[in-house]
Amino acid sequence: MRADSQVVMATAVGAAGHPRRSVIDQAWRAIGPGVEVLSGDDGGALTRTVKRIIDPLVLRLRSNPQYSAPVVNPDTAAAMHALIIGSGPQLRFAAAWFEALKLERRRQRIRTGNAQELYFPICFELAVTKGPPAPHDHQTAAAVLGDIHRGRDRTAIEVLREYVARPDIVAMLADQLDRSWRDVRAGESSEDLVGPFLAELSTVLGPANSHRAAAARQRVWSAVIADATPYNLGALARVHTAQLPWSIVKTGLTSVAPQRRPEISGGSDSDRPLDRSVVDRVRATLRRALDRDALPDIPLLCAEEVDRACAPWGLLAEDKQATLVAGIEIAVELAPLDRSVSSRYELAALIQARLRKEAYVMHARRYLADGGPIHPRQRQVVEDLAAYAQPYLSRLWARLHGRDVWQEPCDDVDDVRSLLEGVARSVSLDHRQRIKAMLELQVAG
Amino acid sequence: MRLAADSGLWSTGPGTTATPLAAVLEVSGAVLSWTIDDPPGEASAQITFTDVSRADWLWRILGESGHVALTSALASAADGLQSIELTGVGIVPGSVDPLRRLAIGHWLRRWWPASRQDGIAALDRALLDVEVALLTVGAQGFFTDDTLDSDVAELLAPHAAALITYVRSDDARIVDLVRAGAGIADEVGIEEIGWPELHAAIDDSSALATAKPAPPSGRRDDYALAAGSDAGLGRTGGGATIARGVASIKWSAVPPGIFDAAEATVEWGVEMAGTATTAVVRAAVIGPDPATGVAVQLRSGAIGSTGTLDADGRAILPLVDTQQRPLPEQAAWNHDWPATSVIIGAEISDVTESRETRERVRRLARLRLDQPGDDAFLAEILASESVY
Repeated sequence: MRADSQVVMATAVGAAGHPRRSVIDQAWRAIGPGVEVLSGDDGGALTRTVKRIIDPLVLRLRSNPQYSAPVVNPDTAAAMHALIIGSGPQLRFAAAWFEALKLERRRQRIRTGNAQELYFPICFELAVTKGPPAPHDHQTAAAVLGDIHRGRDRTAIEVLREYVARPDIVAMLADQLDRSWRDVRAGESSEDLVGPFLAELSTVLGPANSHRAAAARQRVWSAVIADATPYNLGALARVHTAQLPWSIVKTGLTSVAPQRRPEISGGSDSDRPLDRSVVDRVRATLRRALDRDALPDIPLLCAEEVDRACAPWGLLAEDKQATLVAGIEIAVELAPLDRSVSSRYELAALIQARLRKEAYVMHARRYLADGGPIHPRQRQVVEDLAAYAQPYLSRLWARLHGRDVWQEPCDDVDDVRSLLEGVARSVSLDHRQRIKAMLELQVAG
Repeated sequence: MRLAADSGLWSTGPGTTATPLAAVLEVSGAVLSWTIDDPPGEASAQITFTDVSRADWLWRILGESGHVALTSALASAADGLQSIELTGVGIVPGSVDPLRRLAIGHWLRRWWPASRQDGIAALDRALLDVEVALLTVGAQGFFTDDTLDSDVAELLAPHAAALITYVRSDDARIVDLVRAGAGIADEVGIEEIGWPELHAAIDDSSALATAKPAPPSGRRDDYALAAGSDAGLGRTGGGATIARGVASIKWSAVPPGIFDAAEATVEWGVEMAGTATTAVVRAAVIGPDPATGVAVQLRSGAIGSTGTLDADGRAILPLVDTQQRPLPEQAAWNHDWPATSVIIGAEISDVTESRETRERVRRLARLRLDQPGDDAFLAEILASESVY
């Protein structure tokens, strides 16, 4: 029997495991009254409650990855249930804090930002540290809103500005940059740097429909991380770009080839990832650090960023360098509006299939004519869509940079694949919103 | 339930309909679609999984065991497999109805065939968008990932000025909807102009709940305004008309909210302007958006011209031959004009969107206006009541 005509019979009876969101929902309903403002019309937890409170603060997915699987086994489900029920009092307090903050938001006529998105984590934090809001305590709520809406990141960015305004500091960092940049060199250049490496990548970016295949894929990814090729390719990008399998300019990683040495501050006005100055990179870290409690102090952050900026691909850890190279291989195959594209990698083909479907949604909504702009105003944005690799790699690099700073690993192949998929998803959404906005420009007037 | 491989993605349902007959909704990890004139019900929903691991809502429509069975079947599907039969898995009755209604709401925003010529009243954009925004909030459990359809603020933001005129409407349905919309706007954070004023107007009208009835709402004004300019084909002020004809607009080729959605709404004529042969084209507009910049092409054998429409849907196109030389008057008189085509907007084949398809949409629109169902939007009901 040919595989393409095969019919598989699967049955719902006896299927082990529970969808994670349904586990959360059941536990949520068991908490009982007092959490209505954090619940949807159906009494389940709001999606934002899950994303901003349950996942990061109750289940703490960062340290408990077993709770993040789409389907969890009965033991894990029981553990999740117990954790959520156990946090019942804090969740009720958090709900009370949210009411208090909303009241204060209305009193101050604040209309910036999504209240749930911004306030939920802080409400839980307040619930844990202070218990329920005290009656008639408007000051805490006012102070909290002040913190949020004045921007907590601003203080840190101000400290950074003062720090790098000192000439002695800049000179010191420049010295370090000189040394670090010279330290990075490509290893022994073999005949074929990329061939065997790309073969390994096709396993990583290929299918795995059994546990054995999945385990093999993980082993290959570990080997890819240990391989010197991603490092060497990154080192080559600053000397012999002709030996690279892609153009670092066309893929949008730099504005010129070979890659230039980054500046401490100012310098290039290009916003390409590898052109950015050290100070710009630190500033980006501070902006993204809103949800973090601990941030290394500014001098340490700057010194570390100098080394990172000099490292191959602007990333210190080998697993991040390998992920970026895998991302470049994916990116050069993506073209949302092109039906004729064929992909070397299964993952690229899957992402391309999604992009095609998302383009169909635009067509079904009359935001695009069949494969092209529906109004001349959209032409530029539609042309940008053709150069998909640039925004894709720009966003992937930013995510990897964040992980590099926070030392979050990229050693799990499934996690890496979902990172590569997630970046495609957000770039596509961003693109489509721009196409939509170009069309709706006149409506607002 | 049967899953089929479809262009590299798994899907289930009766198959995808072509636009403009498809009402689609993009949720986390999947695209749902319905054929707009299909009866509601579980069998009519087409679900295409863009990323089943992100579809964390599946248990809401398939039950827990159905969710687990589907995800594990897809995870272990062999390469090249074309279909999977899942026994004992099906959509829970009623579970996708709110999603279908939301998809229809989005469809109404984009494809409603408002036409003066056909007598199909326009829908109030602001009220329709508010209702779609409310349904989106109700469906938040399906938007774990942001999608094209998850953004509530974007739906509401442009409408403060329109909604403010409704705050004191004597129609309780309108007032309730506007208040609900403003309540959401408050929470999602909208900074666009007009919103503080809208909130103030609502606070004000609650204080004076029994105040005088509002002035007549402005919702029919758009339509009346657009109905003003019904003059014939514009002239360049020259000599006799050499040829004339009519053409139809393909909806998929142009943005919504500009042109009258009837057939044969594009009049064209060939005449002399001085020594230049020109084509005068006029497409019937209905608004509220201007036709400015929309492409127009005239083709007639070796003769042709391209240009763009002005705000009122008019264009004057100098005619040239294949060598881009101006067309002399004598050649224009001798030309065989009946085989002329005029294309407004992008080029779309007849296969992609036929006249029959548009007729089918008009039939549905008339039906929805004549007999608004339980799932009708307030904007439709008001349009239906405004028909006189």
